[in-house]
Amino acid sequence: MNHIQADILVIGGGATGLGIAWDAALRGLRVVLVEKHDLATGTTGRFHGLLHSGGRYAVKDPQSAVECIAENRILRRTHSHCIEDTGGFFVVTPEDEGEYPDAFRAACAKAGIPCDEIPVAEALRREPRLNPRISRVFEVPDGGADSFLAAHATAQAATQAGARILVYHEVLRLLVEAGGSGTRVTGARVRDVARGEELEVHAALTVNAAGAWAGRVAATAGLEVNVIPGKGIMLATSQRIVHTVINRCRMPGDGDIIVPAHTVAVVGTTDRHVSDPDELTIEPWEVSLLMAEGAKLVPSLDRARIVRAWAGVRPLYQQRQCDATRDATRAFALLDHASCDDLPGLLTIIGGKWTTFRLMAEKVVDRACEQLGVTKPCRTAETPVPGAEQGRYWLGHRLHEVEEQALQGQLVCECELVTRAMLEHAALANPTHSLDDLRRDLRLGMGPCQGAFCTYRAVGMLHEMAMRASAAPGDGGAWDVATMSSPAQTPRPAAGAAPAAMRQGANPLLRGFLEERWRGLWPILWGAQLRQERLNQVLYQCLMNADHLPDDGQGGAGCSI
Amino acid sequence: MFDLTVIGAGLAGMLAACNAAKAGLKVKVIAQGLGALHWSAGTVDVLGYDPATGTPVSHPLQAIEALSAAQPAHPYALAGTQALAAALDEFQALAAEAGLPYAGAATAGENLWLPSPLGAARPALLAPKAQLAGALAGAPLLIVGLQGMRDFFPELIAENLRRAGHQARAASLPLELVTTRRDSNNVHLALALDDPARHAALGDALAALLQPGERIGLPAIVGLKEHAAALAELRARLGVPVFEVPTLPPSVPGLRLNAALRGHLQRLGVRLELNAEVTGLHAAGGRLTAVETATSSTRPRRHEAHSFLLATGGLLGRGIDSDHAGRVWETALNLPLAALPERTAWFRPGFLDPAGHPLFRSGVAVDRHFQPVDEAGAPVYANLWAAGGILAHADPVQERSLEGIAIATGIAAAREIVATRRPDEEVTS
Repeated sequence: MNHIQADILVIGGGATGLGIAWDAALRGLRVVLVEKHDLATGTTGRFHGLLHSGGRYAVKDPQSAVECIAENRILRRTHSHCIEDTGGFFVVTPEDEGEYPDAFRAACAKAGIPCDEIPVAEALRREPRLNPRISRVFEVPDGGADSFLAAHATAQAATQAGARILVYHEVLRLLVEAGGSGTRVTGARVRDVARGEELEVHAALTVNAAGAWAGRVAATAGLEVNVIPGKGIMLATSQRIVHTVINRCRMPGDGDIIVPAHTVAVVGTTDRHVSDPDELTIEPWEVSLLMAEGAKLVPSLDRARIVRAWAGVRPLYQQRQCDATRDATRAFALLDHASCDDLPGLLTIIGGKWTTFRLMAEKVVDRACEQLGVTKPCRTAETPVPGAEQGRYWLGHRLHEVEEQALQGQLVCECELVTRAMLEHAALANPTHSLDDLRRDLRLGMGPCQGAFCTYRAVGMLHEMAMRASAAPGDGGAWDVATMSSPAQTPRPAAGAAPAAMRQGANPLLRGFLEERWRGLWPILWGAQLRQERLNQVLYQCLMNADHLPDDGQGGAGCSI
Repeated sequence: MFDLTVIGAGLAGMLAACNAAKAGLKVKVIAQGLGALHWSAGTVDVLGYDPATGTPVSHPLQAIEALSAAQPAHPYALAGTQALAAALDEFQALAAEAGLPYAGAATAGENLWLPSPLGAARPALLAPKAQLAGALAGAPLLIVGLQGMRDFFPELIAENLRRAGHQARAASLPLELVTTRRDSNNVHLALALDDPARHAALGDALAALLQPGERIGLPAIVGLKEHAAALAELRARLGVPVFEVPTLPPSVPGLRLNAALRGHLQRLGVRLELNAEVTGLHAAGGRLTAVETATSSTRPRRHEAHSFLLATGGLLGRGIDSDHAGRVWETALNLPLAALPERTAWFRPGFLDPAGHPLFRSGVAVDRHFQPVDEAGAPVYANLWAAGGILAHADPVQERSLEGIAIATGIAAAREIVATRRPDEEVTS
C-alpha cells in the first residue's frame, strides 16, 4: 500500500478545504488534500453564486455581515477573474412593508457596507424587468462568483505553493493511533476511486472540511459531529433576466434572490432540513415556490425558460455542550477534537458561506499552526491566485475572443462558447474523469440545449485524442486553469497524451453525461425546455441510437447481425 | 375556398397534402415552422424496438400486427397494416418521382440496420439510396471523415462497429478538400460538394485510402441540390459502394427529403404558408368553418375550408405545449388531450429509460377515421382530422416509429378526407 506523509491532511475539495490547502501551503506546510469526487462537486458548486456584500446578513447576523464585506473586498483582488462586478439591489416589493427597509439601511451603515438608496425609476431603467411596483431600492456591492473557476484557481495556487491535491480519493476512515503521547488522529485511509486502490495519508494534523459530509468523516473515528444538511434548490433561466443581483429587502427567506451568472440568471433558494446530504431530490412544489416568489422580483420569470434545477446542501452545525472551543464568530464552527473529544490531531470546520471561505481557512490554519509550532502569518489576503491577472470577469469575454479570432468553426458548445482547444486542454490539464468534470471546468453543456450538441462532439473529440495518443489514459494533469476560460488564449495541446476521461470508454462517457443532465432537467421540463429535451431524445435515440450501443448489454441490435 | 387546409408542414402534413391534391382536392398548407425532418436521419423508421419488451424488431409490419392487438388505440392499430404498407408504397413512389429514391432491405419487409453517428446499428425500414450501402453485415467498412468537422467522428463510429462484430476502420481527409470556410456546418459542406470539381477531388483522395473489398461511408454531406449526381459520380470514380452516415443536425438527408416534398406540393398547386401560427378558430353546427393565424398586424388572417387536417406534431413540433403550472394543451385548436399522466408521473428517472417517458404518449385521441374525438369518443368537429406526432397512445421516439407513424396516418387521414369529400368517386392514389 502507498503511504504519503504530510504536515496537514485536508479532507474535502470544496472552497473551504481548498482555501485551507492554499493557506497552509503558503505558510510552508506540507499539505495533502483529498476529495472523493471532483473539486467543487458539493455545496461549493451547488449554490447561487452570490458574492455577498453582507447585506443579506446586516440585520439578522451583523458579525457575518462585517466578515462578508471584508472578504468581498479581498476576493475581488485575490480572485478577480472569478468575480463579476454586478452590483446588487435590495428591493422593497408591495409585500415587504414595515420597518425592515430602514433597519436594513441602518444595519448596513453599522456593518460598513456601502448602501445607497436610489430612485425606483433609475433601478427600473437599469433593470427593466424588475417588478415596477417596488417602492424602494438600495444598492450594495454584491457580486457574482464563479465558484468552479475559483475552486480550480485556488487549487492551482495551492499546488504551486507545494500542496498535493488528490481528487477522486475518498476517505474510508480516519486513522486513530495510540502512541507515546496518547491516542490521536494520524491521518486517513483513502481509496483512489478511479483505480480502486487504497492508500494511507499520515499527517501531524488532519482537517475535516467535508462540509455537509463532515459528520460522516468524523463518525469513522467514532466521533459525533452533528451536521444537519439544509437543502436549498435553485433554478437557472435561459438568459440573464437581470444583470444586477436582485434581493428582496426583508429577512432572508425562500425565493428571495436572483443572481446573474455568466449567460444565465439563478433564482434561489429554499431551505429544508434533510437527513442525508446526498438527498438532492427536487420536488415540484419547490420549483413552483421559487417561480412564484421569484416573479415578485421579476414578473416575467413566469414566462422565462428554465434550463436547469439543482439542489445544494448547507451544512448546519448543531452545537454540543463541549463546544467551548468554538471560534469567535457565530458564522462557522471550528471544532478541536482534542478539547472536545479528548482526541488530538483532528480539527473540524463546518458552516460559513462561500464568500468567507478564505477567512475560515485562515482561522483553521492559524489554529493548525499554533498546534504545529509554526509562526508564519497568513498571506492569502494579499496573494492573488493564478488567473487573477486576467482582470475582472465580464460576460462578453468569450464571445469577443471567438469573434475576434474567428473561432466559430471550432465551437464544441455553441451555448457557452467552448472551443475544441479549450476542451482538449482541460481534458489533459486537469484530472477530469467525466464530461461533468469538464462541464465544471468549461461550462460545457450548461446552456439552453443542455448538451444536445456538445455531448456527442465532446465524446467524439476526446475519443479522437485517445486514438491519436501514444499511451493509455493516465490520471490527468495537475491543475492548470489560469487561462482556462479563454477561447483565444488556450493552446491546442499536442497529440500524445490520452485524456483521463477516456478510461471509462466513449459510450459510458456519453451516456453518463446525458443522464447527469437529465437529473437537473426533469423537474423543470415544461414549455420550450420540454420541447428541447424531446429534441435531445430524437437526437440521442432516433438518430444516434445511444441506448443501443454494442457494449451495453441491452441487446444492441447490431449484435444480431 | 379550399377543400382542405392542412395545419403543419412536417412529413405527415406534406404527404397528406400531396395525397389529397393528387385526388383532386384544392389544398392549402399552413404551418408555424418546418417539420422535424432537418433533425432526423432522413430514413423512414417504422418500428425499431418492441415498445413493451424493448427487443429489436426485424419485421416491422409483422410486429405491428402484434402491437395493434395489444394496443388497439395505437395509431398503427387505427390505420391497419394494409394501409401502412400502401402508405409506404405511396411515399416511395413520391420520393422516386422527386429524384430521391428510397428503398428497403434486400429481403422485403425486414428492417435495415444502418450505422448511426455513434456507430450503433439503427433500425429503419426504408432509407434513401445514399444510405442503403451502409446496411450492416456485409463488406468491410471504411468510415471517412473530414479533419476538424465537429459533427462526425469516424473513429468513434468505426470502433463501435468493430465492437458489434463488423469489420470497420476509420480515416480522415483534410476539410480543405471540401471547403475553406472557417465555420462550416453540414449544409455548407453539402452545398460545396454540389460542385463537380470538389467531389472529384474528394473522390481522388478517397481512392488513395481505399483497400480492396471495402465500401466507403461518408458523412451525409454528399451534395444537396446536386446530390444524385454527386453520389453517382463518386461511386463511378471509386468503383465501390459509397454510402452516407447521418450527422448531427442540420440533417442534409432530411433537408433533401423536405425539398423533394416541397417540390411536389408546388407542382400539385398546393399553397404553402409558413410562419402561420394558428391563434383562433371559427365553428358552427359542429363543423370548423375557419382557422385564424397571427399576422404582423392586429387583424388575424382567416383560412376557410371544407375540411381541416391537424398535423402540428407533438411536444417536439409544438403541436402540444405546457407551462410551469403543469398545464398541457393542444396549441392550435385546444382539442382535448388523451393519455395525459399526472404531473408527478410525466417522466421516469433515466433519460434513456427503455420504457420511455409517459408524458410523450399523450396527444389527441382519434377514431378509426382519424377524426379527433372527445372523452366520450364522439368527433369534436365533423370536418376535422388529425395525423402524425399529435396523435396519442404512441411514443415514436421510444418505438423508433417517427416517420412510419407520420406516413401511415398522414396518408390514411388524407384518404378519409378525400373519401368524405367525394363520396361518389372511387378514390385511388
